[in-house]
Amino acid sequence: MLCYCPAAMESLSAVERGALVVSVEHHPLPLFTLRLRVEAPYPSVHPGQFAMVQAPTTLEPYLRRAFSVFTLQRAGESVGEGLELEIHGKVIGPGTAALAAAVPGRTLRLLAPLGRGFDLSGGGRAVLVAGGVGSAALSMLAEELVARRVEFDFVYGGRGQSDLAHGDRFGELARASGGEYFPVTEDGSHGERGLVTAPLSRLLHQGRCQRIFTCGPDPMMKAVCSLAEEHGAAVQAALETPMGCGYGACLGCVVPRRDGGLALCCRVGPVFDGREVAW
Amino acid sequence: MAIDPSAVDLAVELAGLRLANPLLSASGTFGYGLEFGALTRLEHFGGLVTKGLSLEPLVGNPPPRIAETRGGMLNSIGLQNIGIEAFVRDVLPGLADYPAQVIVNLFGYSRDEYARLAERVDGLPGIAAIELNVSCPNVKRGGIQFGHDPDQLSALVAAVRPTTSKPIIVKLSPNVTSPVELGLAAKDAGADILSAINTVVGMAIDSRTRRPLLATVKGGLSGPAIKPIALRIVFDVARGVGLPVMAIGGVESVDDVLEFVLAGASAVQVGTALFRRPDTVEQLVEGLRQRLAGDGVRSVRELVGGVELGGSPP
Ligand SMILES: Cc1cc2nc3c(=O)[nH]c(=O)nc-3n(C[C@H](O)[C@H](O)[C@H](O)COP(=O)(O)OP(=O)(O)OC[C@H]3O[C@@H](n4cnc5c(N)ncnc54)[C@H](O)[C@@H]3O)c2cc1C
Ligand SMILES: Cc1cc2nc3c(=O)[nH]c(=O)nc-3n(C[C@H](O)[C@H](O)[C@H](O)COP(=O)(O)O)c2cc1C
Ligand code: FES
Repeated sequence: MLCYCPAAMESLSAVERGALVVSVEHHPLPLFTLRLRVEAPYPSVHPGQFAMVQAPTTLEPYLRRAFSVFTLQRAGESVGEGLELEIHGKVIGPGTAALAAAVPGRTLRLLAPLGRGFDLSGGGRAVLVAGGVGSAALSMLAEELVARRVEFDFVYGGRGQSDLAHGDRFGELARASGGEYFPVTEDGSHGERGLVTAPLSRLLHQGRCQRIFTCGPDPMMKAVCSLAEEHGAAVQAALETPMGCGYGACLGCVVPRRDGGLALCCRVGPVFDGREVAW
Repeated sequence: MAIDPSAVDLAVELAGLRLANPLLSASGTFGYGLEFGALTRLEHFGGLVTKGLSLEPLVGNPPPRIAETRGGMLNSIGLQNIGIEAFVRDVLPGLADYPAQVIVNLFGYSRDEYARLAERVDGLPGIAAIELNVSCPNVKRGGIQFGHDPDQLSALVAAVRPTTSKPIIVKLSPNVTSPVELGLAAKDAGADILSAINTVVGMAIDSRTRRPLLATVKGGLSGPAIKPIALRIVFDVARGVGLPVMAIGGVESVDDVLEFVLAGASAVQVGTALFRRPDTVEQLVEGLRQRLAGDGVRSVRELVGGVELGGSPP
């Protein structure tokens, strides 16, 4: 019933730090990739975990914004030079607009890593299904699967070509794992015309998909989860809810579960077993 | 005239409640405290007010429960909490390791429920005071009905008073014409301290979808947007009631803390700012110490109610 019990809650590994803005890469509007530098030592980040990023404004937005950790790398040759952490975002309101306009050389506040990421314990061939900027949540996962020699396909959907930022990177990672890359656009401007569910259901029928990892708009994830269920494939979905704090204090981020309960997206999630969510 | 920061005395006392410094986390904005020890040093907190606790656990309202608005946020959490027994059993023992005073925020559907909650914690040495939440706008019944009517409030406080020897804090609602009238009712019935304010009832609509941003349509506004309202109420209540006051509402800077102290608050609770930055209380305690040292103020107590009104327009 109640999923929130502080005594039962996993302890937080997140740290509160200043982060130097290294660069902002602008893709076709409204997409951007923000690169931040943090001092070492920094806690390790599990694929699917996220960061709460403070926009360089004071009142609008007031609260931080949640972003998946897109990449995390050493900033230089030695560990002591710190780490570079990227977020990949889409401008949809004041918070994302302020981050897209961040000035290199300035410092932002960053709380990370937060939440529980993807569970990699199961076996089997995987398919990663991303919708637009939801691809950000699957980026470190794709790297990790390559490192673990797990073969996967990457299905990347959007309205048009410009929604598929970093497509080359995801294609390379999928191929490095031995799998394939399937871009899908609603307007047919790139790859297959249609929705991500088309290639996914082919892969499921071909028996090339034992488990699915997905992040994107809710209706897309809902469709992906029901396909998975039809075919008996495991599915993990990275959810996005409005988040006040990202660390379990505001109780604002609840996700309705099929068992009738509510789960805190920022602590129990953001990755959920797709079958547990009341879509 | 600057003095050494270590010589600044931040300790305050409100009706027997002693705090090492005047800064506390506000109810519902820092869980039960313990969970976030990794993000801030709890030992720097003057006190910690728990999430509203009820006799039985509550699941709270359906999502979406929060929406950001300019300079603040609306919430309709609906008092999701683990219940008083789980708190006493699982959380309270861990809090004993910290010097921060623990204040339990209590919520009930009836006078009797408040009295039972207060009685349940009366014998527990780990709890320094109780705060009666009679001002939560996010539950359909209980709570707020007591906070909006002086007769009901006084009956409630009178019912709780005999059950506890701990200081009783009554948390006032801003959503009334005269908070002073309610403060006086609470005082006459035996309250020791007033805290003000709870959230301000508000609403937001998404103009594109034409739907309210909260599932409950209306919710409670908090954050910097409500600070001037809170300051006015703290000022009125401190002068008009004569009980020690804990200020709450939009505090995020040392200036905010000092404004509330000058308006008459002996202590200050920090809420929404903790969502933006989990170590805000710790930062404010240090910032306040530095500021008072720089201004040559030896004790924060010297400033309580010290707003200069002479010469200002009538
Ligand atoms: C765990 C987690 C990880 C996330 N990772 C990423 C990421 O990697 N990249 C990224 O771009 N975004 C990500 N998001 C979403 C991101 O946090 C929001 O886009 C951001 O908070 C919007 O802030 P804003 O001030 O720009 O817009 P707001 O003013 O907050 O929102 C503008 C409008 O968009 C709506 N809205 C808000 N959030 C969303 C959403 N998630 N989806 C659709 N509509 C929304 C609002 O209701 C409002 O109408 C993530 C969210 C969560 C919870
Ligand atoms: C998410 C959230 C939950 C809250 N829960 C409670 C609660 O359980 N009991 C209570 O008395 N006040 C509750 N409050 C009110 C705060 O304690 C505080 O009075 C109010 O937010 C104003 O302070 P602020 O502007 O610093 O946040 C809550 C506020 C927020 C934002
Ligand atoms: S975002 Fe605040 S509790 Fe999850």
